[in-house]
Amino acid sequence: MLKDIFINPFVDMVEAPDFLLQVLWEGLVSGVLYALIALGFVLIFRSSRIFNFAQGIMVVFAALTLVGLHSFGVPAWISVLLTLGVMFVLAVGIERVVLRPLVGQPDIILFMATIGITLFLIGGGEIIFGGENKQMITEELGIPTGDTVLEPWGGLLILQHLDITVVVVACALVAALLAFLNYTQMGRAIRALGDDHQAALSVGISLQTVWVLVWFIAGIIALVTGIAWGARAGVSFALEVIAYKALPVLMLGGLESIAGAIIGGLMIGLMEKLFEIYWGQPLLGGNTETWFAFVLALIVLLFRPQGLFGERIIERV
Amino acid sequence: MTRFTKMAVAAVVAGIAATSALAQELYTPNLAYRTGPFAATGIPLMNGQADYFTMLNARDGGIGGVPVNAEECETGYSTEKGVECYEKTKDRSIVTQPWSTGITLQVLPKTNVDEIPILAPGYGFSPMMDGETFQWAFNIPAGYWDAADMIIQYLEEQGDLEGKKIAFLHLDHPFGKEPLPVLEMHAENKGFELVPIPVGLKEMQNQSAQWLQIRRERPDYVVMWGWGAMNAGAITEAVKTKFPMENFLGVWWAGHDADLKIVGEDGKGYKSISWSFPNPDAPVMQDIQTHVVEPGLTQSNPEEMAGVFYSRGIIISAILGEGIRVAQEEFDTAEISPSQLRWGLENINMTEERIAELGLDGMVPPFQTSCSDHTGNSGGWMLEWDGEKFVKASELMTANVEGYADIVSAKADEYAEANQPWAVNEDCES
Repeated sequence: MLKDIFINPFVDMVEAPDFLLQVLWEGLVSGVLYALIALGFVLIFRSSRIFNFAQGIMVVFAALTLVGLHSFGVPAWISVLLTLGVMFVLAVGIERVVLRPLVGQPDIILFMATIGITLFLIGGGEIIFGGENKQMITEELGIPTGDTVLEPWGGLLILQHLDITVVVVACALVAALLAFLNYTQMGRAIRALGDDHQAALSVGISLQTVWVLVWFIAGIIALVTGIAWGARAGVSFALEVIAYKALPVLMLGGLESIAGAIIGGLMIGLMEKLFEIYWGQPLLGGNTETWFAFVLALIVLLFRPQGLFGERIIERV
Repeated sequence: MTRFTKMAVAAVVAGIAATSALAQELYTPNLAYRTGPFAATGIPLMNGQADYFTMLNARDGGIGGVPVNAEECETGYSTEKGVECYEKTKDRSIVTQPWSTGITLQVLPKTNVDEIPILAPGYGFSPMMDGETFQWAFNIPAGYWDAADMIIQYLEEQGDLEGKKIAFLHLDHPFGKEPLPVLEMHAENKGFELVPIPVGLKEMQNQSAQWLQIRRERPDYVVMWGWGAMNAGAITEAVKTKFPMENFLGVWWAGHDADLKIVGEDGKGYKSISWSFPNPDAPVMQDIQTHVVEPGLTQSNPEEMAGVFYSRGIIISAILGEGIRVAQEEFDTAEISPSQLRWGLENINMTEERIAELGLDGMVPPFQTSCSDHTGNSGGWMLEWDGEKFVKASELMTANVEGYADIVSAKADEYAEANQPWAVNEDCES
């Protein structure tokens, strides 16, 4: 037993390094996608202290809008722009109808409000688009769909062009977001609001504008995530459950940390894949990905309740 | 008569009228799932089911002159919601259609007490075939153990399975685990290695770990027990990892046209066992066109209506309709009770002639149920994706039920023992 845990997995890794590379690549792709979803949560939490339960359904809604618009004959890239428009209108609507009347209410009320948004988007999405699995317009968007086959150490490594594109686009999006948050006035306003609401308001930062902006950015992230996941296995309401994979990422990285979301996402993507392949499948019958990330996050929380990168909260009584 | 008295009389008369109006229907609620992660599978099935009864109501005024009310109660494939739907509808219903193995397992003990037939065509708990033990439950016309047996038969026709390796990719859910007893029995008898690979609900759309395992294990065949979004996820991963599609087979719920259209030509060769097949030229399809589609009463569309799942929905309602008709004839009443419907479902004789009379030519194999056999074991065809649609890749196959009859009775006895007191049908002789 000890040999199966401490020796055999590493022997397997050394004996089939091409397979190990494939596992790491798949883990990296999953990790990048988890990080993207987690970023959507973090941005909204930083600026408003709201845990946005609706992030998952926003992914579905954005992807369905894109595919739906295209099915009416709208060219692919015009559909992308129109979908961004829809996500902006959604952000304005959420700020006006849901968030503004709830300013000053306890966090749990705002959290419950996002559950309401989720149910609204599920119902609205099903009425407008139906629940059938739809094909993502991958080729129409010019996303490459072939693969590159490499033979490292005489083995086999398959790199899907779609996955490479996803990794590149996600990295570019994260870099653009970081640049926006660090080097623009509005980005600094978002960070200021995240640091101290009262202080930010006292220097004239508009809460309403920032909320609309962060929900819109979350909408952009949702669209990119929806395209990436939808291109893999179609667009349906099943995509919503993928958002729950971001929860352990947030626990691990910290709800307020953008770096935490990125590093946490990558860590979980890589570690859960390695664990599943080399320990989970041989020793536990597989399907450990459903719980591994949560256990990992739980262990981290035991030692760092604020997550790896979260801010330590000191409350004086 | 005072104004109050008039109003009271009017209310009573209206109440009586409403009650009699309610009684003038065959209430066959459907615990549907048009929403949630499994909606993609559910919608075409529910549309086929609904359109068949809409057609019967429009064409014949229902069955035996009584309209069918096939009201849907949405479960989202959630077991909890399914149980709520059952409780909500059971007082008026003559049958319950739970539409998930999880819901079936939950309502199975309840129906044995409430005495309402469960109709779970092609799903549910496989030992329900034993009509003596499961007197109120039916999985007509074939069960999961039939499917597993026919898939193994088909693979054996391709070559001896001795020393071969078969990966069993399945949803980590009661449905996905259902065929394991028969697959394990065959693995032992035929000398192949069975490698179960579970897929969690959250991993349905990202099965890279499962397909990495398949790459490492190098199985000769992959048999899939998938539902909903799991099927599209698996098929796209199979294409991605270059697994030979001709060695990839699935149960009948993993044979949905829309899932294969995502990969199109790349999915060529993928197979799915099925007890139903679409026939656009069948008379029933013409009647649906005339009485349902043209008046704008359908929720479906031409592409979906040409697919395997829509036609399977039609067959499911046709089986229920036939059970109702048989009961009406036997008991000489149009408004049948749940126990009378049970008799009807136990006495379906779907011969080729009867299939033709119902306008279902080529859409379902012949089968016959009895008091002791609540499945009928119709057999099925191996369907193959040709890049655009499913086509038949085999003649009609039948499951070797005798081969696992002992497991059926053992599991049925085990269930009854674990759920004491469990009423069995002692009048039923096998």
